[in-house]
Amino acid sequence: MSFRQARWDEPLIWELRPPTEEAPPEPIPGIPERMRRRRRLAWPELSELEVVRHYTRLSQMNFGIDTSAYPLGSCTMKYNPKISEKLARLPGAQEVHPYQPEDTVQGSLELIWRLERALAKITGLPEISLQPAAGAHGEFAALLIIRAYLKGRGELDRRTEILLPDTAHGTNPASAAMAGFTTREIASKDGCVDLEALRAAVGPTTAGFMLTNPNTAGLFESEIPEIARTVHGAGGLLYYDGANLNAILGVTNPGRMGFDLAHLNLHKTFATPHGGGGPGAGVLAVTAELGRFLPVPRVVKSGRKFHFEYDRPDSIGKIKTAYGNFGLDLRAYAFLLSHGEEGMRQISRRAVLNANYLGKKLGEYLPRPFRALVKHEFLLSGTPLKAQGVRTLDLAKRLLDEGVHAPTIYFPSLVDEALMIEMPETESVRELDAFADAFRRAVTDTPENLHAAPQHLSVGRVDEVKAARDLRLSWKDLREQRTG
Amino acid sequence: MARWIPYEPAEEARLLGELGISSTEELFADIPRSVRLGRLGIGAGKEEPEVAAFLERMLGRNRSYRGFSTFLGGRTPIRYVPAAVDAILSRSEFYTAYTPYQPEASQGMLQALFEFQSLWVELTGLDAANASLYDGATAAGEAMLLSRRLHEGHRFLVPASLPWEERSVLENYGVGAGVRVEPIPYEPASGRLDLVSLRSSLAAGDVCGMLAEMPNGLGGVDDQLPELKALLSDIPLTVLADPLALTVLEPPGNWGADIVVAEGQGFGLAPSFGGPLLGLLACRREHLRLSPGRIVGATTDREQRRAFTLTLQTREQHIRRSRATSNICTNQSLLALAFVAYASLVGPRGLERLAANLSEKARTLASQLSQVTGLRAPQFDAPYLWEFAVSLQAPSVPNFLQRLRRARVLGGSPLADPRAGGGAGLAGSYLASVHEGTTDRDIAKYVRAARAATEGAS
Repeated sequence: MSFRQARWDEPLIWELRPPTEEAPPEPIPGIPERMRRRRRLAWPELSELEVVRHYTRLSQMNFGIDTSAYPLGSCTMKYNPKISEKLARLPGAQEVHPYQPEDTVQGSLELIWRLERALAKITGLPEISLQPAAGAHGEFAALLIIRAYLKGRGELDRRTEILLPDTAHGTNPASAAMAGFTTREIASKDGCVDLEALRAAVGPTTAGFMLTNPNTAGLFESEIPEIARTVHGAGGLLYYDGANLNAILGVTNPGRMGFDLAHLNLHKTFATPHGGGGPGAGVLAVTAELGRFLPVPRVVKSGRKFHFEYDRPDSIGKIKTAYGNFGLDLRAYAFLLSHGEEGMRQISRRAVLNANYLGKKLGEYLPRPFRALVKHEFLLSGTPLKAQGVRTLDLAKRLLDEGVHAPTIYFPSLVDEALMIEMPETESVRELDAFADAFRRAVTDTPENLHAAPQHLSVGRVDEVKAARDLRLSWKDLREQRTG
Repeated sequence: MARWIPYEPAEEARLLGELGISSTEELFADIPRSVRLGRLGIGAGKEEPEVAAFLERMLGRNRSYRGFSTFLGGRTPIRYVPAAVDAILSRSEFYTAYTPYQPEASQGMLQALFEFQSLWVELTGLDAANASLYDGATAAGEAMLLSRRLHEGHRFLVPASLPWEERSVLENYGVGAGVRVEPIPYEPASGRLDLVSLRSSLAAGDVCGMLAEMPNGLGGVDDQLPELKALLSDIPLTVLADPLALTVLEPPGNWGADIVVAEGQGFGLAPSFGGPLLGLLACRREHLRLSPGRIVGATTDREQRRAFTLTLQTREQHIRRSRATSNICTNQSLLALAFVAYASLVGPRGLERLAANLSEKARTLASQLSQVTGLRAPQFDAPYLWEFAVSLQAPSVPNFLQRLRRARVLGGSPLADPRAGGGAGLAGSYLASVHEGTTDRDIAKYVRAARAATEGAS
């Protein structure tokens, strides 16, 4: 093993030079005494070099796609093209205020308008809003639209239940609850929706069904036409969680499969960087019938000019300030333009080839719970390791020592000791084989070594139990050394 | 087309061989014919020079505010971003990373987020902060839902001065929990909360929480805010604050706020046509377990070295599902890094100087504009920092701003709700802001343009 992560023992920023001055700030004329800050903000005064060196060192204690493969299932950690970063830093992108007059922001409006048109074609759903800030935010907006739609039909009082499979992302039930729906899980059969269970569950209380397809087991729900008929037949709407669109780009799409609403994660399928947790962009796509409910403003084109339109009486209003994460929209559009029609198909073909190949190779070491043919990702179960007292968590930590990120673990919960693996289309065969080798070394290592991992990162195994028991969430907590 | 997918025909053939198939088509056998697509109709892929030229041309059809004398601001202020902020953000180990679910691999981002949380705690005077939310408006929405979990009631009180966008976001966040957003009027002369109305609203009962602004959507600093806690008693008080204002105003946690939320874009981020932004939320320690969003905690590794990790995850959607405190997953971590890097580069004294400098420019602007016949600037007599409402009788606000724009002045942003039926509350008002680049010449130009625009109109 040759990988070593930087280990800087970098102090917390206030430890570089603890602030000492507690004098109050100079008063601002007109501000009454009682409103003035009594003590200066307690934060260090540092030179630019001190700050830059501090955060550069921290960056070296972090995995990113540019340094290593990131086989996180359901996260689609593909390469983030540099041209997108360059474009997003142009003055025409950054130095534009959201409340400038329309005639001064024609470029931004055109980009939004064009990106919406392209995403409408890709999703098969004609009406698009770029306003949601992330996937879960798109779900929430979509569920508000389902509410508005049902309310318009006088059915909101009785259609109060959102159905979802037991493999659903946690955001699905959480978003449904936030929008005021109750949720019911539909049991899976062989990793896919159990049609009988779905038929038994739908009825006059059904508001909608939220489905990820391919699902979180990496399987395509082949019964989708019948699922759509069942949900629609019961009077419910069908919602597509588009976190995992990568495998079906150009092959099928939510509209074609019969979905009424969908969200897309531009920070996954469309290669905008995930930023260590965000920002994202959670585009919302709906049918023509539901378009009137989308957030305001909409961007419309008349003649050669683009305009904001606020006069949409059925709109749910705003779900976020301004118009969405424009900087991310721009990056996603650059990605889309570069790939074009044929590129979309190349993405899905290669992503699916990568997953099936790697699935077959790793299937030699650990069992695969469902059928072999997968889409963008696949599952393994770490159960056989339990006999030696090794858990999936140990395997994940041991993989980090190989210089690759660990897969998603313990999700979906219907698979015991689950590992969920996704190597998007930007990963080479050499990288897949290297990961397979690393996986073999890890899975065949001794229980002692697996338990001791990781040993080559900036810290050893982190005590998460202690973190939750003795909460220390800020400098203030550290100063006061509070516990519990 | 760009080389983002490895060109490996021979290797791909080997992979197909190992899978025992002859074409990748066979890997799509599980997708029924009935849902297959023909062409998408999105055009052929382009090479990088073409993409760059195409998008540069499109963005070139924008006219940056830098080409104008600009007085736009509000929740998305125009502030100088030190070059070092972007240098730090451009470290690809940060921006191409995922959420730090494997703490050992992600100590750098976790420590930066811990520093960010600490800074927000220091600024607000509260006990704990999360690692970011989408923007200030959604942070206010989450604060409202946290209030609802802390206190019975279906009414959430907000100042009528709250910008319409934020009120609309709050209304949407309240739908599921059955919480109604109710405006409390402001005093016509000062723009401060009308405490008489507030008292009678509270007396009617069923209030689960209240939002106050510091400064408010009209730019004013309401010196009655420290009295609110006594009026509200055990009803949670949320304050929506400007982070820069918190470097010179007493932290709300010290005078009774239970939750402080903010839009953080002004610390290290360009306006970028309104996104990405940064939502901040801090709360009291005893309310943490009901609060939304990711939280980073300090702990140790096995060798007792200091380490950081995500904690209290049992509140979150991936564990608690329908009973989670919020649906949020992806947040704004990279922008949280920008926030803490910005504050560290500028430093507390630099932030105070910036606040003082901006407020001086705003006072100059107000005194000059107030000499223009037909304009009332500031419209309200409460103290202000770097922006204030301006009112005029005629012409209409859109017309007036359009006339200024022709004189290369972006004079401010209308305060009225642009939607049909949005109410005429502030139809005759707009918000004017200053920024670091505002010069005396800009102000003189504004005054000349405003005179010309109002002449003959009244």
